[in-house]
Amino acid sequence: MAIRELKVCLLGDTGVGKSSIVCRFVQDHFDHNISPTIGASFLTKTVPCGNELHKFLIWDTAGQERFHSLAPMYYRGSAAAVIVYDITKLDSFQTLKKWVKELKEHGPEDIVVAIAGNKNDLGDIREVPTKDAKEFAESIAAIFIETSARNAVNVEELFQSISRQIPPLENTDVDSNESFKITRQPPPSARRCC
Amino acid sequence: MYLRCSGNRFNQNATDLLCKEGASFRFQLLRLKMEGEGGCIGNPSSANMSQQLPLLAETHKLVAEGERDSVFESLEDTHTETMGLSAINEQKGGTQVVNPRPESTTVCLTDSETKLCGYLHKQGGPLKAWKFRWFTYDEKKCQLFYYRTAQDVNPLGKVELRNATFSYPLQGEEGTFHIQTPERTFILKAANRDAKMYWLQQLQLRRWQHRELLCSDSSLPMPEQHTQNGRQYLDTCPANFLPVVKIPSGLVGVEAANVPVQTNPLNVSIKHPLIEIQNSVHSFLLRRPSAEVGRSVFWVESSATQADTPKTNFSQSSNSEDSFVQTLSPSSVLPPDLECERPCENLPARGLSLMLPNGKYKKANSATFPFDRKEANTIERLSHFKQENLTLAMEVQAQKELVWLLHKALEAAQLEKRACAQYLAAENEQERLELLRHDARCTADLRERLEQLRHENEALKRSLEERDAHVKELQDSLKLLMEKNHAKQEVIVKLSEQVSTCMADPKRAVSFERISAEGLRQLVQEMDNLKDDMEAYKTQNKFLNSEIYQLTRLWQNSSEQEKSLMVKCAYLEANNCQMESRYLVVLRKLQENKELPAEQRVVIKNLIDEALQADKRDAIRFDSFRDYDEYGFKIIPDYEMEDMKLLAKIQALEIRSHNLLQQETGDRSLLARWTQFLGGRSPDDLSSSEELKNLVRAGIPRQYRASVWCWMVRARTHTLRQRHPDLFQKLCKKSQATPHPAARQIQLDLHRTLTTNQCFSSPSSPMVQQLQRVLLAFSWQNPAVGYCQGLNRLAAIALLVLQSEEEAFWCLVAIVQFLMPKDYYTKTLLGSQADQRVFKDFMAEKLPRLLAHLEEHGVDVSLVTFNWFLVLFVESLPSDILLKVWDAFLYEGTKVIFRYALAIFKYKEDDILKIHDNVEIYQYLRLFTKTVTDGRKLMSIAFLDLNPFRMKHVKNRRAVHMQRLQAELNELEKLQNEYSSENNQRKDNVFDLIPSEDDDDA
Repeated sequence: MAIRELKVCLLGDTGVGKSSIVCRFVQDHFDHNISPTIGASFLTKTVPCGNELHKFLIWDTAGQERFHSLAPMYYRGSAAAVIVYDITKLDSFQTLKKWVKELKEHGPEDIVVAIAGNKNDLGDIREVPTKDAKEFAESIAAIFIETSARNAVNVEELFQSISRQIPPLENTDVDSNESFKITRQPPPSARRCC
Repeated sequence: MYLRCSGNRFNQNATDLLCKEGASFRFQLLRLKMEGEGGCIGNPSSANMSQQLPLLAETHKLVAEGERDSVFESLEDTHTETMGLSAINEQKGGTQVVNPRPESTTVCLTDSETKLCGYLHKQGGPLKAWKFRWFTYDEKKCQLFYYRTAQDVNPLGKVELRNATFSYPLQGEEGTFHIQTPERTFILKAANRDAKMYWLQQLQLRRWQHRELLCSDSSLPMPEQHTQNGRQYLDTCPANFLPVVKIPSGLVGVEAANVPVQTNPLNVSIKHPLIEIQNSVHSFLLRRPSAEVGRSVFWVESSATQADTPKTNFSQSSNSEDSFVQTLSPSSVLPPDLECERPCENLPARGLSLMLPNGKYKKANSATFPFDRKEANTIERLSHFKQENLTLAMEVQAQKELVWLLHKALEAAQLEKRACAQYLAAENEQERLELLRHDARCTADLRERLEQLRHENEALKRSLEERDAHVKELQDSLKLLMEKNHAKQEVIVKLSEQVSTCMADPKRAVSFERISAEGLRQLVQEMDNLKDDMEAYKTQNKFLNSEIYQLTRLWQNSSEQEKSLMVKCAYLEANNCQMESRYLVVLRKLQENKELPAEQRVVIKNLIDEALQADKRDAIRFDSFRDYDEYGFKIIPDYEMEDMKLLAKIQALEIRSHNLLQQETGDRSLLARWTQFLGGRSPDDLSSSEELKNLVRAGIPRQYRASVWCWMVRARTHTLRQRHPDLFQKLCKKSQATPHPAARQIQLDLHRTLTTNQCFSSPSSPMVQQLQRVLLAFSWQNPAVGYCQGLNRLAAIALLVLQSEEEAFWCLVAIVQFLMPKDYYTKTLLGSQADQRVFKDFMAEKLPRLLAHLEEHGVDVSLVTFNWFLVLFVESLPSDILLKVWDAFLYEGTKVIFRYALAIFKYKEDDILKIHDNVEIYQYLRLFTKTVTDGRKLMSIAFLDLNPFRMKHVKNRRAVHMQRLQAELNELEKLQNEYSSENNQRKDNVFDLIPSEDDDDA
């Protein structure tokens, strides 16, 4: 099976649970008080997708606004970006919109964007209605999913749907260095879920 | 040597005898002989001895009945040899005396202890009644056993002396002392004070000897001052606070067993009815045959213990052996009180016992009784004669007196006879009359003289009476004068005392006058009492001092032993860790090797799983060591990453082995250097110097770190602090009144700060609250920065080290405003970004090969190093190295960050060069800082290998990159603005474009 390396970066406001999602996805572990990320942290996980293996190279970035200036380093060359917001914090949804905008402006042209509404387990103090978020996601043609890193809800699914959005590689084009340079044309097979 | 010789001789004699008696006895004797020559030490066959001994004794009895004279002679020969000192002194020329060789002298030195046993009162039971018990000390176990009587076989209990301490109360009955073991306190009472002190000293000595024995048994490295010999120790050791008490004769030792046991019905152990019954049955069984042969009580006791506890028996018999040897070597080094007294006392007690070649006692009473009887007879006769002599002398005296009286009577008779003869000789009446008249005249004359004398007598009497009266008068006056004198003396004494008290204490002079003579006497008495008390306290104090001293020595020994064991253990564990980590590295390599056949891969997988599983089991062991360091950091960080577990384990093992090895050597010498440097100076009042710089680079010992940091922070913030002395308090108030916009972010990060650290792990911990105040205060102190993620970690480290909110605040101020370049934590992090470029320049200069390698694989180091600079390696480096980096950073400034960042890469350069995959390099770099285990190696790379490293250089480059960055930033902003305006125009188009892709799909 061919291994494809997919660079993914996580963006979003501080404290929304970017690192927690990564931690849950990679280590299947949850820590209430995970240290705030400074700069960025790098983790990998390989998951099978169809007849390929997708190795996610995940860059988990710092959330605080002043670290935004570093973000280009991380989303540069990314196949996908997961923008996380906290469903209990409207502010974080506003920050998400800023990120979407920045990606549109400076990100790779064919980047797959996924919007993750984290802390789904805290539904009773929700501030961002699912409907609003879903509508917004649809408006930018992004994957939308509400997750809970704490309860391990939809974290795998988030990455699986990213996997599905990644166009399969043509056999002639197998080169590890070029693997994450996704071709522009959208693959017909990876569309079903959204 | 001597014993063997005499034993052989005895055997010879006995064999001679037995030739006459027949083969059956020979068999017995041969067996005995064999046991005597073959080691009876710990020989199980020695348990049979008690059965064989009576047999032999009976043999002799039989022999004695038959041919008494010859047997006596031969046995007496042996006897005089074995009897020791007294026998030798008396019969110097008689039998041949074999002097002990030097070896035997050393033997009696090492085993010089005499058996410690004796009767003591033991307080116990629910009624706290005194019970009379027989105590014996067992060397092997270092236990004090106690029996109801000396003849008992089974002990009622034992006292563990190994961990016991001894003391005695001042008040209470005489001779009471306490043995405190961890389990209970035994209250014992010796017969008198001397006996008590003897017991206490002996117990101390035994405890010490036992410890020595243990130490010499185990092949552990021991401190040099240890002497092998307890006795020697007692002699040389200053622990001898009290003079060694002589053995109180008759109260302790084996002969004390002869003390008639109290037949108090209460003196029965209620607690141990079973042992009681066993003992009584046993002693009954043993007493019966002994009565038949006429043995002493002591013999029963020894045979009883022989039958039951062969080991104890051996030590006992070997002791007695020694005491016999001692008697033959008066020049031995032993203290005289032990050397001489024991044998002398023992001899009468053992006068009836005989040494056998195997070192056991053997009764020879049948042989030695007549010898004693003869002597007794002569003594009796002698006294009889003396008495007779006395009476005869008295008779002679009486006779002499009689003779004298008779002489007198004879004289008187002769006088009478002469007068009668004269009277009869007169021829006529006239003459007779004349004679009569003469007589009458004589009579009258005599009467007159008598009268005269009577008068005289009366006169003399009268004068005597007068004289008597006069004498009486004189006596009266003398008495008067004496009284006067006495009073005067008292007055003088009183006055002189007053004078002395006046001299000493002028205030009390007045009160002293009032004290009457009566009071004075009372005081004197009281003083005497107090003196007595003082004496008692002094003695007790001395004893307790010796006890403390001994216990301290024991404790020191133990702790030194423990320490050496710890070092050894650490070393071994380190080795083990290294081996294990190497093994895991091999496994990892094998795992990565994709060419291996599937079967082997499965095996390797299993091995890895096993190793990781073992980690969980080992967790217990690691826990017992130490999980957190002095600052609350986890010593071995844990990883949750599934794929990293093997690596993490390898690394944990490496850290562990390194820590174990370094702990002892490195840290201690560093502390010594610092202590020498400070030389009594306060560590928060220093002045910068080259020497201090080097010391700080090596790391500040934990003891001084807080104060040195304080000094360094003060030095940086000096001017600001002078201008605003209570800035922190003001800012705290301000932040309470009007929260900075960053307060929310601070709140969010509070519980996410150094979560692995003990002091921050709990949200309710006071450190977290302190951190909040520091960060809030700082947000107002520097509104341009406000709060930047990462500052929480800096403040947390400052809090952990400085242990003070205010100092931590100033430390944060010092770092952000004085140490770091401008704009390091501000909105754009421009300074930080510039430093990343500066760092890359340095990489190119100092580590060109590595940078080329990284660039070749498209690795951007700043993705990894950015946070090193921003948070000064917090949560990147292991805590011990981290704090050393901080030490140097606070002293020297940002150059240190570059030095260490480069050093880390250089440290791991070879490893990185081996990796040829972009992802793997990133993965490696993610955790590699935590695998840096050798802080000293890192330090020497940072400060030696990377030289020259000039601050000017850093500054210049910074300026260049800042300028470029600023330009880029401006450009970007311009572009952004352009783009956004452009984008706004195209916005609809963009959003149209994306759904159109979906349309394609549909």
